[in-house]
Amino acid sequence: MGSIRVGRPQAKPDTPTHVRGLHQGNKGPYKEQSGHHADGTSDARRSTGIHSKRHDALIEEMPNISPG
Amino acid sequence: MTTTESRPSGRRPAQIVDMSWDPITRIIGNLGIYTKIDFANREVVECRSTSSLFRGYSVFMKGKDPRDAGFITSRICGICGDNHTTCSNYAQQMAYGVKPPKLAEHITNLGEAAEYMFDHTIFQDNLVFVDFCEAMVKATNPGVLARAERTTAPRGDVHGFKTIADIMQAFNPFEGEVYKEALKVSRVTREMFCLMEGRHVHPSTLYPGGVGTMPQPNTFTDYLSRLMHVIDFVKKAVAMNDDVFDFFYEALPGYEEVGKRRILLGCWGAWQNPDVVDYRYANMNQWGRAMYVTPGIVVDGKLVTNNLVDINLGLRIMLGSSYYEDWVNEQPFVTHDPLGNPVDMRHPWNQTTVPVPQKRDFDGNYSWVMSPRWHHPETGEHLALDTGGGPLARLWTTALSGLVDTPYVKATGSSVRISLPKGESLPETTLEWHIPKWSNTIERDRARPYFVAYAAAMALQFLEEAMGMLRSGDTKVYENFEVPDEAIGCGFHEAVRGVLSHHLVIRDKKIANYHPYPPTPWNASPRDIYGTPGPYEDAVQGQPVFEENGPDDFKGVDIMRTVRSFDPCLPCGVHMYMGKGKTLSTVHSPTYGASHG
Repeated sequence: MGSIRVGRPQAKPDTPTHVRGLHQGNKGPYKEQSGHHADGTSDARRSTGIHSKRHDALIEEMPNISPG
Repeated sequence: MTTTESRPSGRRPAQIVDMSWDPITRIIGNLGIYTKIDFANREVVECRSTSSLFRGYSVFMKGKDPRDAGFITSRICGICGDNHTTCSNYAQQMAYGVKPPKLAEHITNLGEAAEYMFDHTIFQDNLVFVDFCEAMVKATNPGVLARAERTTAPRGDVHGFKTIADIMQAFNPFEGEVYKEALKVSRVTREMFCLMEGRHVHPSTLYPGGVGTMPQPNTFTDYLSRLMHVIDFVKKAVAMNDDVFDFFYEALPGYEEVGKRRILLGCWGAWQNPDVVDYRYANMNQWGRAMYVTPGIVVDGKLVTNNLVDINLGLRIMLGSSYYEDWVNEQPFVTHDPLGNPVDMRHPWNQTTVPVPQKRDFDGNYSWVMSPRWHHPETGEHLALDTGGGPLARLWTTALSGLVDTPYVKATGSSVRISLPKGESLPETTLEWHIPKWSNTIERDRARPYFVAYAAAMALQFLEEAMGMLRSGDTKVYENFEVPDEAIGCGFHEAVRGVLSHHLVIRDKKIANYHPYPPTPWNASPRDIYGTPGPYEDAVQGQPVFEENGPDDFKGVDIMRTVRSFDPCLPCGVHMYMGKGKTLSTVHSPTYGASHG
């Protein structure tokens, strides 16, 4: 850093990024939220938490996408 | 010493007056332009550009978690922060070895396209045009305005203005039609940006490895409807710009000399092609050439390279007139790149920033900006590349490379063809930008609206591809990764006003070295150790003065047009002082014309 004078850091960069026992966001909500698939795809059920099983497309030919 | 040759002419005894504009604010550091103007021969004899602000991002990034880099470096700039986030993510993705899903690339590309449209529009129509508006031309070149009133606008059928003077009137700040319309358009384009990147200008949904934007049909349809709403404005803007700039060449013979410098342009490429990019350094040439704006270096009108590996290895950060200690005696961070090529000590990967504050001395050190140069492997020269304000270099390298061939944009080798669909009032239009004869003030400004059209056209393609993926249910937008103990990465992108690179070295999972190089250090750099002036200095130095005013009421509009043509972010207040102890303080941009309202 040469001769430059810097102050004492206020941040603690070594704080653990994950606390054991807590749910890890990156693992995905596949169990709790139907509509999100492990391969990264999703379908219409993603957009509702109520009776999500009933929110699939009626016929297979229909697009099964999030209504957003 | 100058990179551009001086013009031979019959000369009168010089009458030299010191003139300076300091600060030209809101850029990376406070920019000041110090000139000596020869009023007898009506030209600028000498120019130095200086920055009086030290930022120190490269100093305080050390020791931080590399995943924070995108969020921290975004704060470098209040107008193109998202370009920094994107570029930082590119560098991090190389270091972590992660490739984001395709839809995430499309979302990033769409956000960046909206940013180019937003920023170029607000800068061109609300800031550049203040220097070309009726009120300004009346104050500086009344003869030109009289002629504009008699000149019919050739493309009047597109933009609806009868004469050139009518267009100039519409450019008047606060009251002109174009000025007001541009403000509305930049609001809409900013909304488009926010749909993709969450927040303007420091994105909240861009991360290394992907995005946090929820891809759902209305994300894209909302974007599309806004894009179609502004598409006619873009067509009109191109026609209007061509009319006004052609008129300036015609009304002021020799105006091509204003801001002209040797053609030394650099572009680091924009918009990754999701099908090709894998962020591996070894494949950087392939995915660099697949980008939708081709990277490249143009010297004297010829393409030297469009290989990102060559571009990367040729980067040199020089000192010479900057307030820093040299770092050649420090330990290098990276001796060889992943392909085994040696990396120079003056490369950003090896740079150590050691600031040495001192008094400004125009014969010695006079700026906080360093002098980035590109080392030409064949001639051995250290080239002071400029970005042409962004669009000029992007269009030039893309046109010469001839690699971009998409449904809406095609590079032909000598031009770039852009097709825009039918809008609310104007039919389907194909615009063609041709490689100009000069790299000068007018051509830098002219390229800008063409690039807005380019960005709009690319956005249409990204939208179509993204909506195709969405319909197939492929909505993955994030890929997980681990931070390695040791890694290096580099990101190449285009900030709105030109080249942007981020170089990153990770040790112990922390940042050991981080150097962002945005466009303004390239453009505003001072003289390097070899005495080569930076692009602003070079472009202003030796330029003729066409303003009709004498030293007492001199506005310096030709010089300001040149500096602003490089898009030094948003020039706000300009203070002016004159030699012989007589000080005039004038605030004349962009609030110029405030008294008219």
